[in-house]
Amino acid sequence: MRHPVAIVGAGPAGMSAAITLAQSGVRPVVIDENPRAGGQIYRQPEVAAHAPAPPAATGTRLLRQFAEADLELLCGASVWGFFQDRRLALVRDGKSLTVEAQHLILAPGAYEYLPPFPGWTLPGVMTPGAAQGLVKTMNVLPGRRVLLAGTGPFLLVVADQLQRVGIDVAGIVETASRREVLRALPALLARPGLVWQGIRLHLRLRRLPFFWKHVLIEARGADSVQEAVIAPCDGDGRPDVSRARTIAVDTICAGYGFVPRIQLAQLAGCRLQFREGLGGWVPEVDEDFETSVEGVWTAGDGGGVSGALAAEVEGALAGLAVAQRLGVLDRKTYEGKRRPLRRRLNGLRRFRDGLQRAFRLRSGLTDLANSATLVCRCEELTRGQIEEGIASGGTDVRTLKVISRVGMGPCQGMMCWPATARLIAARTGRTVEAAGPPSTRPPIVPVSLGELIDVDQATNSHPEGTAAVVERGMA
Amino acid sequence: MSDLSRNHFHAASAAREPVVRFTINGQESSAGAGTSVAAALWAAGRRALRLTTQRGEPRGIFCGMGVCFDCLVEIDGCPNVRACRIAIKEGMRVRTQQGAGSWEEAP
Repeated sequence: MRHPVAIVGAGPAGMSAAITLAQSGVRPVVIDENPRAGGQIYRQPEVAAHAPAPPAATGTRLLRQFAEADLELLCGASVWGFFQDRRLALVRDGKSLTVEAQHLILAPGAYEYLPPFPGWTLPGVMTPGAAQGLVKTMNVLPGRRVLLAGTGPFLLVVADQLQRVGIDVAGIVETASRREVLRALPALLARPGLVWQGIRLHLRLRRLPFFWKHVLIEARGADSVQEAVIAPCDGDGRPDVSRARTIAVDTICAGYGFVPRIQLAQLAGCRLQFREGLGGWVPEVDEDFETSVEGVWTAGDGGGVSGALAAEVEGALAGLAVAQRLGVLDRKTYEGKRRPLRRRLNGLRRFRDGLQRAFRLRSGLTDLANSATLVCRCEELTRGQIEEGIASGGTDVRTLKVISRVGMGPCQGMMCWPATARLIAARTGRTVEAAGPPSTRPPIVPVSLGELIDVDQATNSHPEGTAAVVERGMA
Repeated sequence: MSDLSRNHFHAASAAREPVVRFTINGQESSAGAGTSVAAALWAAGRRALRLTTQRGEPRGIFCGMGVCFDCLVEIDGCPNVRACRIAIKEGMRVRTQQGAGSWEEAP
């Protein structure tokens, strides 16, 4: 059996697409790497009554609708490849399986980005999302005294969550100025509810030291973080090191926004475009979220970072479009359901654009790294080594990879390509876009030979076998 | 690092959690059920989950979502496992990884 629809990712976009399809009478198969649905934002703890519920973003309604929808859920399954006829290659519980679908909705989400700075590889420097995960689902404290640094409202959300579990939050270091945030207000007021949430968050955190227009320039420590060095910065994020100060902390959470996970779209051959405001390279889509490859759709932050609420709407829109394409939804019903969703999405996008202007990734941050700072964490390459590679002709991300090995480690350049592309741009005097996207090859997650060998033969040769494997996985 | 060891659990809820026992580099340890291997090591005060291949530098939890590959450890004799992606299980043998890691020889 070929599935009518396979959805990769059970975050807000994937869940919403699945719910929409199920409501239209299509039974999708939903694949997610995590042990439970929810994605990064609506992560569900393994053990009930774990960490205290966060004030917002619980996704309760979405999770409930998803749990009640008629669908097949494959959790703990990593997609490592995309093959002809929209066939996905997965590993799950040490075994290989394939899932073939008429339509494929990619909803892989995004990951956090931080520009390299001295000390950023020290244990104790982590993304705000990693700290949030420890607190929300693991009941583990990332540290005793934590500094949050970077840009964007996510820092406040995490600061609040850390404070609630008794962590001493040393402060919030934000590259944007207060004035820039105020200037963004007209756009942000496209979603007054979210602005109100932000204000309430600020009020709850009002006792914390808030360093506007500052940047984290160094993490220090022997085997683990002991100090953070911060300094005031200009509008480009360039620090005034003469006014640097040191803060004693055991953990630093640094995050400067999100980068879409485009690896699967790349394997599928989707045409990409560079959209700085959406987090970098994203698949080109039409207004129904279909990519340049027929039958391959994308929704949510994986198609361009717009946040969880927009992801939910995009998922619903993609789900409707796929249902219509499958012939289970007539044009009129489709149009009727689509219109209010589009309106809502437009508002959310105005809000996103406002946020993006205030909390953008600033060009000066590239120079936080000195020539001895590691840029590629996997291959342990310094900025100096990468710049040597650029000087010897590596003037795009792919060529530079061949010359210097940057991005050749297990993360396949996910962590370092934004920094690498910016170093190329700075050296060549061209745009970040001109440095091109990173190259991606299957497997996009590590797969052992044992897992590859351990294939249920039925999975490949007998189409019914795929369903059988999927069903067994559910038991 | 002694000030970071133990007591990383939330005191409030630690008591009602089922406990899983495992070893880190041969040493007995325990963690709340449903904890990832990375979080279990972190809670036990182990921040350096591995030493890198080239420079031998310590790495800890970084992205926490399986993207960065910094938290590679050896689990039950198998190296290069992302500690943040695996749930800790009773009797699991976890080793912090040195460089590229090594496979445990079959007995």
